[in-house]
Amino acid sequence: MTAPAAVAVEDAFRGEWGRVLGAVARATGDLDLAEESAQEAFVAALRTWSRDGVPDRPGAWLTTTARRHALDVLRRRRVEAEKSETAVRRGERVDGPGRAGDSVHDEVERGLDDGGWSPDDPDGDLVRLLFTCCHPALPLDGRVALTLRSLTGMTTGQVARAFLVPEATMSQRLVRTKRRIRATGIAFRVPPPALLAGRTDAVLAVLYVLFTEGYDAWAEPADEVEGCAERRALAGDAVRLARLAARLLPDEPEARGLLALLLLQHARRDARTGDDGVALTLAEQDRTRWRREEIDEGLAVLDTALAARRPGPYQVQAAIAALHCRAATAAETDWAEVLALYDVLLDLAPSPVVALNRAVAVAEVRGVDAALAAVDAVGQDPALAGYHLLPALRADLLTRAGRPADAVVELRRALDQVDREGDRRLLSARLAALAPR
Amino acid sequence: MRYLMLVLSTPEDPELRPEDAAGAPPIEGWVEKYYGSGAAVLGDRLRPPADAVGVRVRGGRALVTDGPFSETKEAIGGFDVIDAPDLDTAITIASEHPMAHGGAIELRPFWPLGLDGSGATDGGA
Repeated sequence: MTAPAAVAVEDAFRGEWGRVLGAVARATGDLDLAEESAQEAFVAALRTWSRDGVPDRPGAWLTTTARRHALDVLRRRRVEAEKSETAVRRGERVDGPGRAGDSVHDEVERGLDDGGWSPDDPDGDLVRLLFTCCHPALPLDGRVALTLRSLTGMTTGQVARAFLVPEATMSQRLVRTKRRIRATGIAFRVPPPALLAGRTDAVLAVLYVLFTEGYDAWAEPADEVEGCAERRALAGDAVRLARLAARLLPDEPEARGLLALLLLQHARRDARTGDDGVALTLAEQDRTRWRREEIDEGLAVLDTALAARRPGPYQVQAAIAALHCRAATAAETDWAEVLALYDVLLDLAPSPVVALNRAVAVAEVRGVDAALAAVDAVGQDPALAGYHLLPALRADLLTRAGRPADAVVELRRALDQVDREGDRRLLSARLAALAPR
Repeated sequence: MRYLMLVLSTPEDPELRPEDAAGAPPIEGWVEKYYGSGAAVLGDRLRPPADAVGVRVRGGRALVTDGPFSETKEAIGGFDVIDAPDLDTAITIASEHPMAHGGAIELRPFWPLGLDGSGATDGGA
């Protein structure tokens, strides 16, 4: 194969996989067949593009090839079904189904033939695919996995490695999720207007879960934690999907809010771990290692989102992230504004975790005692039970309040609860500083 | 595709807020809209669980019990069979039912046995 053809196939794979799969999925309503057909189309591209040259419109070529494959499969199935039907009739069962299924077949085949595919709306199938994969009637882990598999073209093995589960487990998860799509009658469609707002939230939530899964790995010692590199890559995948969602849902400022938030957080990834794989807080990070061009893009996206004057939790979180990104040093952070935004966020989306993060800003604006009171006010919330950040934050505040003995108790509690290696090292270092041995 | 809509009363749902129940649309409009359009095929209100009658055949004998088999907090207050092209349409119909506001609706997709010869037996086996 010549290099240009290989590169073209790879480019097309990144850019067109979801569109190709989506086109077949819409026409057939069969995600398995769509996956198989998209795969076939890319295999055919590898075979023929180096021989015949790269087509002018690779995406259209791939979609046509995939649709043709799906059509072949459906026709083959139909012939087989007719054969077995004839066999049944010979066996004197004359009360059979007749030809009731044919009109459905005809309709699907017509859909595959002309596709109902309009080049004017090349994104339509992607939007439908995104809403389908993120349908709230599906289990959350299945939504995340299926979104990755269907929209980025990651293989089942790649998705499995990113989530640190055996490939067979991930394969089962995908099979179950697709089966549930069929069993519950989830269609490849944009939700009706009455459901659209809630379903947009559901799409964004899946992308955020995906991002967090990857972004957390950036605060881990990459060399020592299994699968860390694969998980880190998920954060980049989530940014790409958020970019897609923001483009596909232009009337949803929250979609742009999410993209801005992810860009602004992701821009800090290189600075999140220090030497020895210890996780670094915002205040400790080397800000020269933040990626300026990504921050600039995030700030610009946030501005266009806020211009719609329909604020939502993602836009507010992005605005908080923007304040951190704009400060050249931690000391220059506009904490009063950060605190004001946390108040807005708590109003829009009450959550004990948000309240805990707000307490960090309270410490900077109103002092350590006020922050400790704010932490205690949410500390009893059962949702925070076992969450290491609660004692970790208390320890930090107690240290600053000049109560090291109390801080040590909290740090030990945090160390009991922490599960990520980078955070464990951070807490151990703090404990060693307070209680040297 | 057909769905059974189980209409549930959920008195112990912690997320049930009086203002939601108060904002529920009247049932008459729902019945008129969906039985009128043919989307709803069959349905009715049910007597309370206390009036349930259990039937089991054990050792060749029909055992009859008074009351429901299990004491659950949610009670089925009624049901409707709806015919919808897809789940989102069914969800829209369900969300307009007054008891979606004051209780809960459970949608159960039909899983046709195909005994009537319609040949539709796909499903979640």
